[in-house]
Amino acid sequence: MSRPASPRRSSFSRGVFIGTIVFLSLPLLVLVLYSFNESKSGGWTGFSVKWYVKLFTDSPQLWRAFGNSAVVALGSAAVATVIGTLGAVAVNWYRFRLRGYLRTLTFMPMILPEIIIGVSLLVFFSGVGLRLSLFTVFVAHVSFNLPFVFLLVLARLEEFDFSIVEAARDLGASDGQTLLRVILPISTPGIVSGFLTAVTLSLEDFVITFFVTGPGATTLPLYVYSAIRFGVSPVINALSVVMILGTVLLTWSTRNFLKYIAAK
Amino acid sequence: MNRPGDRAGGGALGSVREPGGLYAAPATLWLTVFFLAPLAIIVAYSFLTPGARGGVEWTPTLDAYRAIANPTFAKVTLNTILVAIGATAVTLVIALPCGYYMARSERQTLLLMLVMIPFWTNFLIRIYAWIAILGNEGFLNDLLRALGLVDESVRFLYNRGAVMLVLVYTYLPYAILPLYSTIDKFDFSLLEAARDLGASKLGAIVRVLLPNVKGGILTAFLFTFIPIFGAYAVPLLVGGTESYMLGNLIADELTKSRDWPLASAISLVITLVTTIGVLLLLRANGASTLGGPAGEASADGAAPEPAVGGAR
Amino acid sequence: MKKRMMIAAFAATIGLVASACGGSSEKLYLFNWIYYIPDDVIEDFTEETGIKVIVDSYASNEEMYNKIVAGGSGYDIVVPSGDYVSIMIAEGLLEPIDTSRLANFGNLDPAALARIGFDPGNRYSVPFMMAAAGVSVNRTKVSGYEHSWNVFDRSDLGGRMTMLDDMREVLGAALKSLGYSVNDPDPAHLEEARLVVERWKPNLVKFDAESFAKSFASGEFWVVQGYAENVFIEYPEDRRDEVDFFFPKEGVPMYMDSFCVLEGAKNADAAYRFVDYMLRPDVAARVADYLMLPSPNVPARALMTVTPNYGFDDLAAGEFKEDLGQETLKLYNDAWRRIRVGN
Repeated sequence: MSRPASPRRSSFSRGVFIGTIVFLSLPLLVLVLYSFNESKSGGWTGFSVKWYVKLFTDSPQLWRAFGNSAVVALGSAAVATVIGTLGAVAVNWYRFRLRGYLRTLTFMPMILPEIIIGVSLLVFFSGVGLRLSLFTVFVAHVSFNLPFVFLLVLARLEEFDFSIVEAARDLGASDGQTLLRVILPISTPGIVSGFLTAVTLSLEDFVITFFVTGPGATTLPLYVYSAIRFGVSPVINALSVVMILGTVLLTWSTRNFLKYIAAK
Repeated sequence: MNRPGDRAGGGALGSVREPGGLYAAPATLWLTVFFLAPLAIIVAYSFLTPGARGGVEWTPTLDAYRAIANPTFAKVTLNTILVAIGATAVTLVIALPCGYYMARSERQTLLLMLVMIPFWTNFLIRIYAWIAILGNEGFLNDLLRALGLVDESVRFLYNRGAVMLVLVYTYLPYAILPLYSTIDKFDFSLLEAARDLGASKLGAIVRVLLPNVKGGILTAFLFTFIPIFGAYAVPLLVGGTESYMLGNLIADELTKSRDWPLASAISLVITLVTTIGVLLLLRANGASTLGGPAGEASADGAAPEPAVGGAR
Repeated sequence: MKKRMMIAAFAATIGLVASACGGSSEKLYLFNWIYYIPDDVIEDFTEETGIKVIVDSYASNEEMYNKIVAGGSGYDIVVPSGDYVSIMIAEGLLEPIDTSRLANFGNLDPAALARIGFDPGNRYSVPFMMAAAGVSVNRTKVSGYEHSWNVFDRSDLGGRMTMLDDMREVLGAALKSLGYSVNDPDPAHLEEARLVVERWKPNLVKFDAESFAKSFASGEFWVVQGYAENVFIEYPEDRRDEVDFFFPKEGVPMYMDSFCVLEGAKNADAAYRFVDYMLRPDVAARVADYLMLPSPNVPARALMTVTPNYGFDDLAAGEFKEDLGQETLKLYNDAWRRIRVGN
């Protein structure tokens, strides 16, 4: 596709784009600035790194919440990745009963507002008498992560023809061997981005978690939510700067990793 | 375009049955138990009597639906619809030129990174930043006062305008990304051709470009409208007494007033509205486009950043 | 390469799960109001007893109750107000408390105990604090007001005032402003009270039971209905005389918050130790100092170093919120829903 550098294209769309980027980054700039503010509330009173010190040395509840989030994110992403990948392989390459049903089922959670998922899961857990805990949070996260993994893996698999599987079989590979030696390797980029998307979604989720959380199952977004409303918030500013750095680093390394895989 | 579902049947879909069912079983089972069954329970609960201590009593009634039909509720529904349509419209109007600019740029990777900026940190933290910017004693008012433009603080926060602004802010990237990825596949020589035939620049964009990127617009619309329609945290944090939305109503009924059937009935209405809306739009568009952007992004390796999903 | 990656990822996951579940030390799950017990008091308890306390917070009784009912029953201790103590007793949600196992129970003021109608004899509850929400006004910004609920009629303060997101507190305020009881079961009176709140509503920024204190401290809000302790904890120490906290002369809904042990609590022994610890004079004094509230703990009063923001005498015009019963509660819920929903 040719993209002639036309002088006409600049004006309007460029202005909107630049305005949008300013709009999108403004809150982050404010956070970075605030994180170095000495004062606890409002007004600039002087430069200080004390909130960073507090973040790393004196915020046990925050780190407990972070630990919960990490457990739920990695755990739910791992389960969703395994289940979702298998589902995508099945839908892409095999005929089975309920194929259409599974497709619809993986599509539905993506088109519902998350409050609906949260409410229905809370009502469900309560109805079956399951106590709210980190486990119910984990279950909820797998449910909303699964469709994303499924879709990302499916998108990758669709680039390949079924003849790959047929060839493997003709060479005498068993179903298991075909899956592990042929299908999984070619779908790795999809699996990796599915897993990472699931981790991110899980780390970010507030609404669904808010409903299904139980004793001691405070995740990072829930902690952030309560810190915004009461308690010491400058620590949250420092946390957000650390998160920004972490995300940039993660994005950068993932990008290189995926490039490396794609190049192989 | 690799659309799940519209592949040519031919040799693509294997004729093999085994072990498809086995592979599909965990996903099918999980989503049936932990997604479909809860929805079914919601349906059932909406027809029952509220229990004294939350939960339900097994006496069928249409009370919850009668309550929804009440004019007082109509106000919340109307407010929700207005906010959702307004915020979605603003989002799309901003996102279209952005997607266009990105698609025509030579530095797409960089621009994509810039659009992803909000995903660098948690969305609640970003809302918090907006509170700090827009408050009576916030950045913006400080600035306006310092410039001598106002004497009294302007009330930006805790009203419907603030809710709309933060919603637009939150969902803008979700609209830009699919629009960008569809416009990027558009053959721009068509635009030149239209212009050679005498169309104005705007005319060419409206008559040639927009019809061709309908799918992207649709996806962007759904990715924006649906979450806004069910918004909960944003109106709670930056809204005022008049910015109450359906999401808040559901949460309050469930967690405070303990009228579970009512919460279920409202949830069901939202579910039906979204599902039917999506189906109608997809039918109008002739195909299932949802999921396109995510799938495509990974397929061409352009934007498989972990943060693509972000907060919904 | 890939395989090693996968294995590493899995190992990391398992490691994290293990570390999260690990640690066999005794635990206590506490579900408490925001701003109610300072972190260092809880840390000291852990240091003394080795019992790890996991704290989650709520901002209204309704919120707490519904979490418990919906399946959050894994908590050991909750701190409901009196009306919810009776509701939870009636629902069988609470474990009886043997006060003879609490060595420090005798420290509680008999006068305060005598006022308890929700659980006579303290069979299920141990009083923690007796207080009331009032009105805080920023003196530097607002003048010419009475110590009355009618401050919320001031439309010139529109956009600068909030009331609690708490049905009983807001409707109670309106009922009191009309001269009715905060537990008034009369639908006509309740309707009048609803209209009063509807009249106030255009002048309110929002109903908020959580962030009002922070926003009041930052100068964002000038008049807030809320708990004195939240406001004063958030307000910069050197400028606290700017705050005028008062109980409107028409009267206020008041409450006694008590420690209760949830039915089937797994860590009942730890719960007893915690409650007894909180009743210890030195600890009770620290807590009351932090909250700047009068303590119902008699020996603790002598140990306090901070003058409370008000005394029990100031609560004379207060009226305890009581359990309304099914029918009346539904009326209140409906009125409150109409207030929130209507524009």
